[in-house]
Amino acid sequence: MIELAGGIENKVLIAVDLSENSLKAVDYVGGMLRCHGTAEITLLTVIKEPSPDIVPDDQERGRMVEEARKETLALMEEAGARLTALGISEKHIRLKIQVCQKPMSVSDLILEEQQNAGYGTLVVGRRGVSKRQEFLFGSVSSKVVRDAKNCAVWVIE
Amino acid sequence: MNEAQLREQIANYSRFPPRGNLNILSDTTEFMSIQSGDVLELGGAYYLVRGEEVEGRFGLDGEPKYWVKRAIDLADGSSKIIKLVFHEKFLMQLGTEQILCFRSPVKEARVLDKVRDDLRFMQGFNVLDSAGNHVRIIERIQGDRYYDLIHSFQMDHEVYFHDHFPIIFDKVFGCMEAINRLHRMGELHGDIRNDHILIERDTGSYRWIDFDYTYDWAESPYGVDLFGLGNILLFTAGKGFHNLPDLAACGPEGMRMRSCLEHGDLSLFFKHRIANLQKLFPYIPDSLNYVLLHFSQGARVFYEHTDELLQDLSACRLDIAAR
Repeated sequence: MIELAGGIENKVLIAVDLSENSLKAVDYVGGMLRCHGTAEITLLTVIKEPSPDIVPDDQERGRMVEEARKETLALMEEAGARLTALGISEKHIRLKIQVCQKPMSVSDLILEEQQNAGYGTLVVGRRGVSKRQEFLFGSVSSKVVRDAKNCAVWVIE
Repeated sequence: MNEAQLREQIANYSRFPPRGNLNILSDTTEFMSIQSGDVLELGGAYYLVRGEEVEGRFGLDGEPKYWVKRAIDLADGSSKIIKLVFHEKFLMQLGTEQILCFRSPVKEARVLDKVRDDLRFMQGFNVLDSAGNHVRIIERIQGDRYYDLIHSFQMDHEVYFHDHFPIIFDKVFGCMEAINRLHRMGELHGDIRNDHILIERDTGSYRWIDFDYTYDWAESPYGVDLFGLGNILLFTAGKGFHNLPDLAACGPEGMRMRSCLEHGDLSLFFKHRIANLQKLFPYIPDSLNYVLLHFSQGARVFYEHTDELLQDLSACRLDIAAR
């Protein structure tokens, strides 16, 4: 039997990109944990800052990130509302938006967050990308499954 | 230099000196209006414009690239390619997939700086014009395209594979090592194609050109470059590409070979292109075919880094050298 460090088993990080699949992950976690009185759930969305090679102007990039942040916050609040509708207390839900800059990737940032804040469970949705897209662009869920350490990973399809 | 001195230099280095007033420009923003006979003043140096580069794909005629000028450096008469700023966004076709691609002068300038003195890449430098545009001055490579070299081989595949492929494979391996160096520096080529390797006439060196494309970075930042490297390897090993319709046109033997091919033997990106070359050419070593199959429909695992591709290709080198 593996003994987890104090309290991390109660901390759940759901990485959402606000696609239908990631909202399924939110619903699944809500359904599974509604009877767990002490689970702390964090919804994390990562916004990618455009590459300076594509948008060279710093201010323009900043403006684009801010716009994305506002849109994302509204959608995150909806996702949080889905958890409360499923019976998770609001005081146990946190919303977090992080901005990812090159060369870090979305999966790097998710894994870093998991390690730094000591989440015991990491939840990702699988988007179902084609093989060609996976070849060209990679897959966040595949990288998370491969590289996550010291936690459980739930992949929701 | 004053105008008289410029005219003297032009007379020294050009058989067709411009008539009338010299149009000397230091702002290259309006590149469409920069004509043959104009002189660009960039970073204290002067360049006589001789026209635009034209690039077709794979031997086909192309359109002029108005943002890429052919020029003569009036300091020493050397041929230069001058790439001006053109921010283009377009959908690039990668087989049956499309990606949003961007032309980035800043990226190419940075890569040129990082690969300075590495002759596996075209050489040049970046200079800001009077309007702050990133202008890349590139040394013209006198050479032929790799694409044309492979197409120049007329012998049958088996003779090609035994007599020429080992040397060419070594050269291509070197090209891939060069791309690996870029990747380790956190950079991409962005447009890996078999007509973006030039074989320098004097030295026989294989050199990469044209790295101004970039795309939105992703979980697997090198996927698009790896796609290109896979294509080059398949093209090299096959002495060109082999497609299902080509086999059908080869009579009963071609149809027999076609009947041995399955969906998993075909390219992941080009639905009629054969990736499992060992089924066409049984003398292709297992180690090489194993690498080719990473780019097939049947692949379950893909290369994420050029390191991984090179590691597998290193095993091939021994098998190929042993033939």
